[in-house]
Amino acid sequence: MSYVPSTATMQKIEGMIALYPERSAALLPVLRAIQEESGCVSPEAEVWVAEKLGIRPIRVREVLSFYTMFRRKPAGKTTIQVCRNLSCTLDGAEDLIGFLREKLHAGPDGTTPDGRITLETVECLGNCDHAPCLQIDGVDHGPVTRDRAAALIEELEAHE
Amino acid sequence: MSEDAVRLIPADDSSWRLEAYLRRGGYEAARKAVTSMVPQDVVAEVRRAGIRGRGGAGFPAGLKWSFVPQGGTAPKYLCVNADEGEPGTFKDRAILVRNPHQLLEGMIIAAFGVGIGKAFIYVRGEYDRIAGRLEEAVAEAQSKGFLGRAVFGTEFGLDVVIHFGAGAYICGEETALLESVEGRRGQPRLKPPFPAVVGLFRSPTVINNVETLVNIPLIIGRGANWFLTRGLPKDGGTRIFGVSGAVRRPGLYELPMGTPLRTIIETNAGGPPEGVAIKAVVPGGLSAPVLRPDELDVPMDFDSLSKAGSMLGSAGVIVIGDRTPILDVLKVTARFYAHESCGQCTPCRLGTSWIHKIVSRMAEGRGRAADLDLIRDLADGMKGQTLCPMGDAAALPIHALVSKFRDELEQAVSQ
Amino acid sequence: MSGTETVSLKIDDRTVQAPEGTNVLKAAELAGISIPHFCYHPAFEAEGNCRMCLVEVEGLPKLDLACSTVVKEGMTVRTSTPRILQARKDVLEFLLAEHPLDCPICDKAGECKLQEYYDRYGLFAGRFVEAKEKRDKKVAIGKGLLLDRERCILCTRCVRFLRKVTGTDELGVFERGVRAEIGTYDGVPVDNNYSGNLVDICPVGAITAADFRFKTRAWFLKKGPTVCPRCGRGCAVVVESVSGYPLGEKQRRVFRIRARENPAVNGWWICDLGRAGRREIDENRQVRITRKSAPGEQVSWEAAIEEIAGRILGIPQAQRAARIAVVLNSLLTCEELALAEKVFAKGLGLPGVYFADPTPGEADGFLLTGERVPNARGVLEAGFSPRLPNLDALAASVEVLLVFGSHLLEHFSEEAISRALAGIPSKFLFSAYAGPLDRLAEVVFPIALPAEKSGTYINVDGLRQTFGRSVEPPLGVVSEREILGCLANGLGLNRGEPDAC
Repeated sequence: MSYVPSTATMQKIEGMIALYPERSAALLPVLRAIQEESGCVSPEAEVWVAEKLGIRPIRVREVLSFYTMFRRKPAGKTTIQVCRNLSCTLDGAEDLIGFLREKLHAGPDGTTPDGRITLETVECLGNCDHAPCLQIDGVDHGPVTRDRAAALIEELEAHE
Repeated sequence: MSEDAVRLIPADDSSWRLEAYLRRGGYEAARKAVTSMVPQDVVAEVRRAGIRGRGGAGFPAGLKWSFVPQGGTAPKYLCVNADEGEPGTFKDRAILVRNPHQLLEGMIIAAFGVGIGKAFIYVRGEYDRIAGRLEEAVAEAQSKGFLGRAVFGTEFGLDVVIHFGAGAYICGEETALLESVEGRRGQPRLKPPFPAVVGLFRSPTVINNVETLVNIPLIIGRGANWFLTRGLPKDGGTRIFGVSGAVRRPGLYELPMGTPLRTIIETNAGGPPEGVAIKAVVPGGLSAPVLRPDELDVPMDFDSLSKAGSMLGSAGVIVIGDRTPILDVLKVTARFYAHESCGQCTPCRLGTSWIHKIVSRMAEGRGRAADLDLIRDLADGMKGQTLCPMGDAAALPIHALVSKFRDELEQAVSQ
Repeated sequence: MSGTETVSLKIDDRTVQAPEGTNVLKAAELAGISIPHFCYHPAFEAEGNCRMCLVEVEGLPKLDLACSTVVKEGMTVRTSTPRILQARKDVLEFLLAEHPLDCPICDKAGECKLQEYYDRYGLFAGRFVEAKEKRDKKVAIGKGLLLDRERCILCTRCVRFLRKVTGTDELGVFERGVRAEIGTYDGVPVDNNYSGNLVDICPVGAITAADFRFKTRAWFLKKGPTVCPRCGRGCAVVVESVSGYPLGEKQRRVFRIRARENPAVNGWWICDLGRAGRREIDENRQVRITRKSAPGEQVSWEAAIEEIAGRILGIPQAQRAARIAVVLNSLLTCEELALAEKVFAKGLGLPGVYFADPTPGEADGFLLTGERVPNARGVLEAGFSPRLPNLDALAASVEVLLVFGSHLLEHFSEEAISRALAGIPSKFLFSAYAGPLDRLAEVVFPIALPAEKSGTYINVDGLRQTFGRSVEPPLGVVSEREILGCLANGLGLNRGEPDAC
């Protein structure tokens, strides 16, 4: 089954390619656009991107596997990424992570049993004065106390 | 002259828009440069100001600009380093969100001075949700003729592209950033050749940090001398210090270069919380070797911190309280560099991982007496011998932790 | 870049002259100083990831890479200071931390850079007590190549070779940090005619050939340089074989053919077709002279050559041109061709000598030529106009036929050859290999292969290359040179010349 992006994403991609003096340089933004739509970049998408940009699929996978924000397999519908670098650790990130893991019953790969939420730990998010902080689908939250964390999860679970 | 007009991060959150920026004198410096100065004079003024890079390395920006060969018809590029991955650093975020136009104005002046027609703003992927204002600012500036073809109606043109990273601290290193813009793994390049000669798409390229560029309109608008009076004679301007950790008022504080560290922590950030004493302070982002409580009177400028065996770096001040075991700090540090190592060169790829494994074992209570010396030796094996500065960024703070807090770590191991 | 200017510099107190643009590593080599390195290869630009070649350049505070530092007039370089020796130890210690203790079972033992450098610059006790990363140890990446990810030191020579030399790009580096690993893309294995070079350029035992796996040890191999005979390029190769111990006393096996550096012909590489030639040196060889009239009986060379000479001389001089035919091939050396010209053209007055050669193939755009013989130019130089025989014409008039090589079968069916030869009273076959034509000949002579003889080939660009014997032929097997020499004697053509027998 081969991959084809939606018309909207296709337009975005064409726009991105036009910004770079070399087609292949648009790889990162193109991968981002595809992941935004599909939740990940599948092997079929890798092949599609490679052809679109005039590079080999292996080069696409090299890039995909290097950057932590790219996914090759879908995660939960919502991702929670908790910082555990120094400032956040000083302000209780480890405790927060433990609390979230427990509350969400996240499995070893961080995803809840119903597959809706994936919990991950990440390095510094650049929000250190609001430690401990996290991002929910890329949106910053902090400082996240236990209470605030519980409230956030409730909100997430309330939304279908 | 309103103090607020020169603040790098305006207090008022709504003053990021173009009209507000224009009202506080925005784009006047760029207009002056582009319509009434010659490029060489722009570079000369920035060189006289001596502004040093605010990303971490502290290399004088004007000097860097002067390395780009003059003339020629080949394209040249400007890359704005908004990758801000150095732990403890959150100033560029604030500039992108609260003063994007001043960044653009700094970019216009830099591009004009060096002969650059296209700029990429490399924004770390984790900031993509907050980049909306920057994107709007670019559109606003374009609509007013401050960007695009014929800037201020002259022959000078500048296109701006926002390029998002995707989660790699190493892309804050300038050559890894270039690799990333070119659509590749963020693996640093050998230098020489230097980016000023062979950079993006093999063309001469200048890479500057966000905070560095946001100072440029002030230097051109008010002059190098003015800039120097804002800081120290040999290290002018202000720094935006980011304070976090065990302090009452974590946040950003724009202060003159050379402000003592203790002042920043205690006066500006309110000191540690009730009942907590300071055990250690990271002065310039995680890559800056830690300072002990008796070392906190150091003036926060590039040379003073260098002399103190640390670095000003990204001016990310992380205060560690006495309730925090140093082993925890070591653990976070070791894990971070092991996770972020690009893996290209032997000492960093294997050194960061080995140290991480030792420290993890120590944290699990299975440390040995020999581990601390071993960690120190491994850090020495990385220092100065890696392909890019990240080797030192990992080795130096780890070395400092096991040296300066030897007693506490030895105790932790013997338990 | 003008390489005509020479730069003078000091390396370890020796004054060295090097062409402008040379890197310090190469310049040191010119002075007889070898600087250890893994990732550098003269075929590629400096990569700088192994950090093993660090040296001291006077005036610079940090150690610098010899591979990427270009020589400057008046530069002073040191390659063995305590700081450098410590730096080398550091690199080795880092590499060995995650490296498996595979030496006892690793094919690369004895020719492994990591071993070599540890012996010379290491000799420290290991301090790594953590759990090593577990990785795949036998990844088939294509063309009989096996990748051991635990041994890999990520020098990326293999990746860069496929990117810059073959342009086929089958390998990449995935993940990052200590998790970084080399691999292919799903369903796209290594598949080009130069894959064998990956084994040679891998400094450790990460990429090995299944063809060589566990078969012998590098230190048993005798290395014989020669020229590859499988196409017209004439790449410099080295045939690596074992005679006797640890094989049986009278056994000989060729284990490997590898590239030899020759800037004028093949640079650093050879193609996989050339490497595959190793089997041909051992397999299916003709080793005894056999006579159809007395199968199983031992035949001496003298007797056999006498028989041929007798048959030839039995034909009156005037009729020899019509009744004697010779089929040669373009694997004969220039010396052998000159001899053949003397014996057959001048000596016997044969107007034409036929040639049956391996059929041409596709040139691959790099080293492999379309012609699959090593000495087509030599054949022309010797004055021959190579063409295939007409089998019917042969059958009609020829009484004595000499066939060198077994390539007739590539041009005619066995049946057609059989029919034609049935009409010829005396047929003598000279072949390295046992084959279907053997039963058709009165006498079958075993022949040495190019690797087993010395001589000169002229390659596709007209370059003359003289080579020596790289491996001993099987006992009692000689080359065309000896045979033609003896035949010349037997025909009385060598009057006044030293006895070739």
